[in-house]
Amino acid sequence: MGKLTGKKLLLLGERDGVPGPAMEACLKASGASIEFSVTECFV
Amino acid sequence: MDLQNQQRIKDAAEKFGAENVVVILGSSDAEGAEIYAETVSNGDPTYAGPLAGVSLGLPVYHIFDGDIRNECDPAAWEEQISMMEMVLDPDALAAAVKGIRDQFSKHSV
Repeated sequence: MGKLTGKKLLLLGERDGVPGPAMEACLKASGASIEFSVTECFV
Repeated sequence: MDLQNQQRIKDAAEKFGAENVVVILGSSDAEGAEIYAETVSNGDPTYAGPLAGVSLGLPVYHIFDGDIRNECDPAAWEEQISMMEMVLDPDALAAAVKGIRDQFSKHSV
């Protein structure tokens, strides 16, 4: 069982860093549920 | 941090309990990562949003932190994140968020 099993993940991505959907793809099989995933950008 | 996202973080912490929530950041610079981490653990340092003066104590990690990276699907990591890992400074980003987590987070993974 992974460290994140059963956790609720709040993913705050960044357009110039790691965007939300990229983190989502990597963590969807972690045993945690992704409650929301966003990508902020600074311009 | 976007005010709407501050509200979503606050709502999720109240709904699920701080001990069940983990915030993961994808910030590109250490200073920005620290501000985000502080916002979700100790409250909005700019006093502009719903988390101003609200110390949620949420556990917060950068996606490059070993504890999180190890839980990621390796194929998806290679495809989605490995290039940014080469461009950014993963150790500095993970350390910046850890510094704030050690001060203000009441929970960890």
